[in-house]
Amino acid sequence: MNSPLLARVGLAFVLGSVLGALPLVAQSQSQSQSQSRSLVVSTYGFNGDLLKKHVYDPFKAQCKCDLVIETGNVAERLAKLEARRANPVVDLIQMPDFTALEASNKGLLQPIALAKLKNLGEVYDFGRDPLRNQQAVANTVYLVGLVVRSDKPASASVTSWKDLWRPELKGHLMLANITGNQGLATLFMADKAWGGLATDLSTGIGKIAAIKGNVVTFYTQTAQMTALFAQDEAWVAPVGRFAWPNLKKTGKPLKWVVPKEGQLGVMNVLAIPKGAKNADLTEQLIDFWLSRDVQTALANDLVDSPINRNARPRADALDGLTFGAEQIDSLTFMKPDMVVRERAGWVNQWNRMISTR
Amino acid sequence: MHRRLAWLLLAPALLFIALLFMAPVLALLAGAFRIDGAWALSPLITFFDEPLHREVYWRTLRIAGLATLTSALVCYPAALAMVRVPPPWRGLLTGLVILPLMVSPIARTYSWIVLLGRNGFFNALLQGLGLSDEPLKLLFTEGAVFVGLLQLMMPLMLLSLVSALENLPADVLAAAATLGANRWQAFAKVVLPLTQEGLIVGGTLVFTGCVTAYITPALLGGPQVLMLETLLYQKVNVMSDPASASVIAVLLLVTTLMVNQLLKRVSK
Amino acid sequence: MLVLALVFLLGPFIVVFVAGFSGDDTLRFPPQQFSLRWLIQVFTVEAFQRSFVTSIVVALGSTLLALALGVPVAYALSRFRLPGAEAVRLLLTLPLIVPGIIVGLALLNHGVLALNLPVTLSLLIGHTTLLIPYAVRVVSSSLANLRVDIDDAAVTLGATRLQAFFKVVLPNIRGGVAAAFVLAFITSFNQVPVSLFLTGPGVSTLPIEMMAYMETSYDPSIAALSTLLVVFTIVLVAGTEKLLGISKYL
Repeated sequence: MNSPLLARVGLAFVLGSVLGALPLVAQSQSQSQSQSRSLVVSTYGFNGDLLKKHVYDPFKAQCKCDLVIETGNVAERLAKLEARRANPVVDLIQMPDFTALEASNKGLLQPIALAKLKNLGEVYDFGRDPLRNQQAVANTVYLVGLVVRSDKPASASVTSWKDLWRPELKGHLMLANITGNQGLATLFMADKAWGGLATDLSTGIGKIAAIKGNVVTFYTQTAQMTALFAQDEAWVAPVGRFAWPNLKKTGKPLKWVVPKEGQLGVMNVLAIPKGAKNADLTEQLIDFWLSRDVQTALANDLVDSPINRNARPRADALDGLTFGAEQIDSLTFMKPDMVVRERAGWVNQWNRMISTR
Repeated sequence: MHRRLAWLLLAPALLFIALLFMAPVLALLAGAFRIDGAWALSPLITFFDEPLHREVYWRTLRIAGLATLTSALVCYPAALAMVRVPPPWRGLLTGLVILPLMVSPIARTYSWIVLLGRNGFFNALLQGLGLSDEPLKLLFTEGAVFVGLLQLMMPLMLLSLVSALENLPADVLAAAATLGANRWQAFAKVVLPLTQEGLIVGGTLVFTGCVTAYITPALLGGPQVLMLETLLYQKVNVMSDPASASVIAVLLLVTTLMVNQLLKRVSK
Repeated sequence: MLVLALVFLLGPFIVVFVAGFSGDDTLRFPPQQFSLRWLIQVFTVEAFQRSFVTSIVVALGSTLLALALGVPVAYALSRFRLPGAEAVRLLLTLPLIVPGIIVGLALLNHGVLALNLPVTLSLLIGHTTLLIPYAVRVVSSSLANLRVDIDDAAVTLGATRLQAFFKVVLPNIRGGVAAAFVLAFITSFNQVPVSLFLTGPGVSTLPIEMMAYMETSYDPSIAALSTLLVVFTIVLVAGTEKLLGISKYL
């Protein structure tokens, strides 16, 4: 055999493998250095620095532990949760309530010891056990309302969801795509506004399909939505409250409208993956997140609206929040079990009506 | 002896791809083609029962095909011009061609959103030239996706063609001219056959890139210009339906292989 | 035509470049004020710092591995008449065709979890499989026009195949190999779909962090970061050019 050649091939292979192994070695070294307990939190990418300031850093100091944050959009984080079910890496995961129900249905979550949460009593009723199986606790509620250009007559006079169907808004209307939470909310409110049954939302889909020629686009990313407002493409759109501070920064004359038919409330919940190893510490983190002080601090910086009824945000922050009995009581919620059951059908129907000529 | 040597050279790469790529991918894709405990190809056929799927498939083929064709038409003259440029400048040119590849696809797509917007450069140009009275809807159309994909993929075609052309002996074209061929004949009968490898490689890369692109069609076209890859992502991410996604993936695979074969026949 | 092509290719980059120097709070074109603040701010974002290092390590490792695996293949395919060469070529093209998201999901479910691999290693493997086709194709292109009898002549003159390869063939395809290196490195660095599922808590690549950033914030950071990355790559390519003179071969 041609041993020099074998040697060369072998050498190249070894060289490549050694180089490939270097990062592996580096990673394992850094892992063995951390002695204290460490929690992995899977959450949204929004407001990472403010969450660090008000939640992560104070908790780290309190528990003398470490927090590793994994961010990403909900779909990917759920897919990874499912993929790693035999050996979960994540200790605490934050997602919308219906996604948590989806995860729960797949057997990916474990019950939270709700009795251990001292602050649970201060949480609004609807947030205490939204899935009715003790596997999730709401840590915030955000609402979906409308943002309009206040300087354009056609949009400045919008006061209800139904107004979105006005012909004067053609070419300047932006809606959210059903693949995102704001899209679901839009669909739900459209159905409600037009007198649908709220069990199958077909009225809503039909109505939206009817004006598909009027829209600039159905946005899929929050940044995309902001971009289109900033470039004067869109004059009106349904928006989640968490995006309002960024929209204000665009410098365009925008105002938030509370539509006549009401706003949709979406709860984000905290849950513990089944088989996660540090449940006791995680439950402390949940309790911390629900506490009045943390909820107030997050509200003051317009990160999230409080789920704790005793939070006391500053008066000047109230404009950017959902707070107070009147607002909270006026919120409409989607039922998580209906969403989980029907969503695939809605997406198919939506695609058929919106994406075909 | 020689044969054995050759296979030895091929072995590491083939093993690597077989074990660490093919096996996992086949395992995933196979999941979609098992009906009632037996293997079946029917999911591929039933995929087309849905009118939405037919429209998405046709749209994807159309845009990708057009982009491939356009890039070939534009890049051949460009590549021919480029190989005549002397070395120091050629390096600079090559660098310029590669430059767009280095800009993250997200940044590039957002810059198209800026350029094609209502108040963007192109609308300003059109209005300035008097071709239009008011801003046209350029964004969120098939045209926008076409332009975005073309810009994304063209460097691949250009580099492929340059690579193939530069090893062409310089006197070939001169010889053809001496023998009485005009420019077009020289190109069709001499240059094209000799550089067919470059065209096949470039064409396949561009077509494949276009049908598997996600960010650009998603952001520049939006949900109303749904393409195959965007649908695939939806199936995985939103509907948690990897089986459907696998069907689409196999469809993409088959289509690209067919196009690859087509290119091989065309350039002969 | 060349000029037109270049303008078309570079136009959007100009937008990105200029936007990176914007002093505004949000991404706006043309910017209303100019400043270096976003360029500087990008360096302070911890997620970008960490993921940049990961991206470099993965890109470098996977490119070298892909070349180590792919150059022999290119050589074998061009120098030997093999039955099944077409099949081999096809197999090697597959990583380019299978949608990245499928590869990522497949590797996650059936690779990483089945074998319990650490995150960085799985990223490395995933990227390498994607880069082998580039390595093979680009080097093949270069070899295709290098006359076969050159290494045969060397062997006749007494060299072993190995010596022939290193002393005769390799110097002549040096440019092709360097070009493959550059292309593969860039591809790995910018890779998103496969990396999406393979990254885990604490380990992420730069493009993924950029995408995550863009899902929530709309400011010039991304433009600034893109500009910086391009400058970085220019330095890389220029450096390789100076050392190896690859411009003739690209």
